[in-house]
Amino acid sequence: MMLLLAVGCSSHNTSVAVRERLAFGPDRLPLALDELGSRYGCEAVILSTCNRVELYLARTDAQVAPDVDLIAEFLAEFHRLPAEEVAPHLYHHRNADAVRHLFRVTASLDSMLIGEGQIAGQVKRAYELAMAHAAAGRTLHQLFQHAQKAAKRVRTETGIARGHVSVSSTAVDYVRQVFERFDDKTVLVIGAGKMGELTLKHLKQLKPKRILVANRSPEKAEAVAQGCGGRAVPWERLDEALAGADIVLSTTGAPEPIVTRARWEQILPRRTGGPVVILDIAVPRDFDAAIHDGDRTCLFNIDDLKRLREQTLRDRAKHVAPAEAIIEQEQRRFLGEWARQRNGPVIARLTQDFEAKRQAVVAQLLGRLNGKLTDADRKYLEGAFRLLQNQFLHGPISALAEEPHEGGRHTLPEALRKLFRLEE
Amino acid sequence: MLTLLGKITADCFTASYALALVLELLYLFRPRPVVRACALVLGGAGLLAHTLFVAVNPMPLETAYGSLIFLAWVLAMFYLYGSLHHRRVAWGLFVLPLVLGLVLLARLFHGDPGPRAETVSWELFTLLQGRHFWPALHGLLLLLAAIGISVGFVASVMYLAQVRRLRQKTLPGHGVKLLSLERLETMNRRAIILAFPMLTAGLLVGLVLLLKTDEQATGWVRILSVVGLWVVFAILLYLRYRAHARGRRVALLTIVAFALLLFSLISVHPFAQGVVR
Repeated sequence: MMLLLAVGCSSHNTSVAVRERLAFGPDRLPLALDELGSRYGCEAVILSTCNRVELYLARTDAQVAPDVDLIAEFLAEFHRLPAEEVAPHLYHHRNADAVRHLFRVTASLDSMLIGEGQIAGQVKRAYELAMAHAAAGRTLHQLFQHAQKAAKRVRTETGIARGHVSVSSTAVDYVRQVFERFDDKTVLVIGAGKMGELTLKHLKQLKPKRILVANRSPEKAEAVAQGCGGRAVPWERLDEALAGADIVLSTTGAPEPIVTRARWEQILPRRTGGPVVILDIAVPRDFDAAIHDGDRTCLFNIDDLKRLREQTLRDRAKHVAPAEAIIEQEQRRFLGEWARQRNGPVIARLTQDFEAKRQAVVAQLLGRLNGKLTDADRKYLEGAFRLLQNQFLHGPISALAEEPHEGGRHTLPEALRKLFRLEE
Repeated sequence: MLTLLGKITADCFTASYALALVLELLYLFRPRPVVRACALVLGGAGLLAHTLFVAVNPMPLETAYGSLIFLAWVLAMFYLYGSLHHRRVAWGLFVLPLVLGLVLLARLFHGDPGPRAETVSWELFTLLQGRHFWPALHGLLLLLAAIGISVGFVASVMYLAQVRRLRQKTLPGHGVKLLSLERLETMNRRAIILAFPMLTAGLLVGLVLLLKTDEQATGWVRILSVVGLWVVFAILLYLRYRAHARGRRVALLTIVAFALLLFSLISVHPFAQGVVR
């Protein structure tokens, strides 16, 4: 009987305010894992991200799974919240459903942005932390290992993770259409917006030759430059910097465009390099949209980047069905393997028992017929009894192997009927 | 064996290239790896047939037919290399029409023996023999220049297509997949840099030959078109390195250079000469 329980809440059913209150910080996570182990005697992994808080609990030495209400009480107590405020926000999945849920979560089929790559790493870290604190045992070890394997299959065999969805990474997709190499390129950052920081982080991964930072406030320019290993340029020399830049990232809070078409036409003749890619992610926009020509000047603003993100998500949606099929396949595979391992000793005992009885009966029969049978007859007789034993055991062994699919809540008569296929 | 190889006709590789192109077009609408693989197999089969055809039927390079078939053969190799090297890029979509176009143009001149009296056949031993050396060198240099110009042409067409995509802000990863602007510009630049010295040297050798022989077969139209091509190239280089004009303008001028190249290749044909005159 598999005793697995997944309890939690996610962005699908709770607001961020609720999730914030139920989240486990890195400092308190070990304590929670210890508490779960000592109180309920179960293996535990806690997945706490900004989009979900989930507890995966497994018991191998008891007849019942950890109780959902008890876990809700634990959460309330741990976070010092009234129990009635916590319980309504929790969903739970048992056994085979819990396996499927974890596989879907790890493969990012349950994420807000389907196909996002972060969740697999977060699941892995949650599991590793539980392992480090001896909170995860054999069951959860196998489960989480298999979840990673299933997620990898989904990523490689479907297009679910194809393309980029964040504004900052889609910006890089556009840049790559224009430039091939970046070690000779100059990136100019205008402004110091939060979104700019993220995009700059992605641009920095391209390892450009140099990064220049221009800001109306020299102090801010210096701070951003220090943060990204770049060099601050005075705001008054912006035109000069624009003339020498290959990639421009603009993210100011200016109410009016800072580079109009007329100003750009004055800058263009001073440019001696190749094309320039301008990523204008400021709202309101910093660059006049009319300067885009797709050849010397490639301007992409926030709307263009969002359009790409939406298209990527639409494309990914087409791969959900094949991804779900893989999850189902992996779920069955895991449950089968798990059942074989868990019920292995029972099956072995059953087989040994029948083997011994068969050998005794065959020996008795051969003793009685001694001298009346040829060697071929003896072999045929032994083979017939072996076949009978195999056919007899096939039903119970198959039933044991299939047992976790059913949820594992059988009464004894039901189990007997199933074991001996009485209803069939 | 030789008899069997002799049965390979221009139809074989023309059909292979045409089918490969059809599959490349199909891949645009049904991007299945198997479609691209089939296109590659057909393109490869076409190249094999083309190679055997060129090997078994040595053809005079001074004729429009010979030079166009040979140029198409080199570009077919360029197609196969590019398709294998840039698997994600719609390489065949741009190179195969050029290969096919050159083959079809060559077949338009099929049967034209060219100036047989001074024909230089594409045989290594013949090349090295005194009487044929300079004409062969002239033909070889112009062909090498033609290869460079053709590669520049392909890069330019791809460049213009990429500019169009960027101008319309087509989403990356959608539609025809192309190399980056920078890569295409580099390809074009290298092709021009390689082609220009070849063209200049070929032109000079040709002029010396012209002064030495009173050759009627080498028409003035061809000489003028090659000189025109050289002038266009000189302008191209000037624009790129002195005036820093890059991108679309250079791509368009490369296409003009390619048109002049085609004109100079076919201008030895009596029909073409007749039209021009």
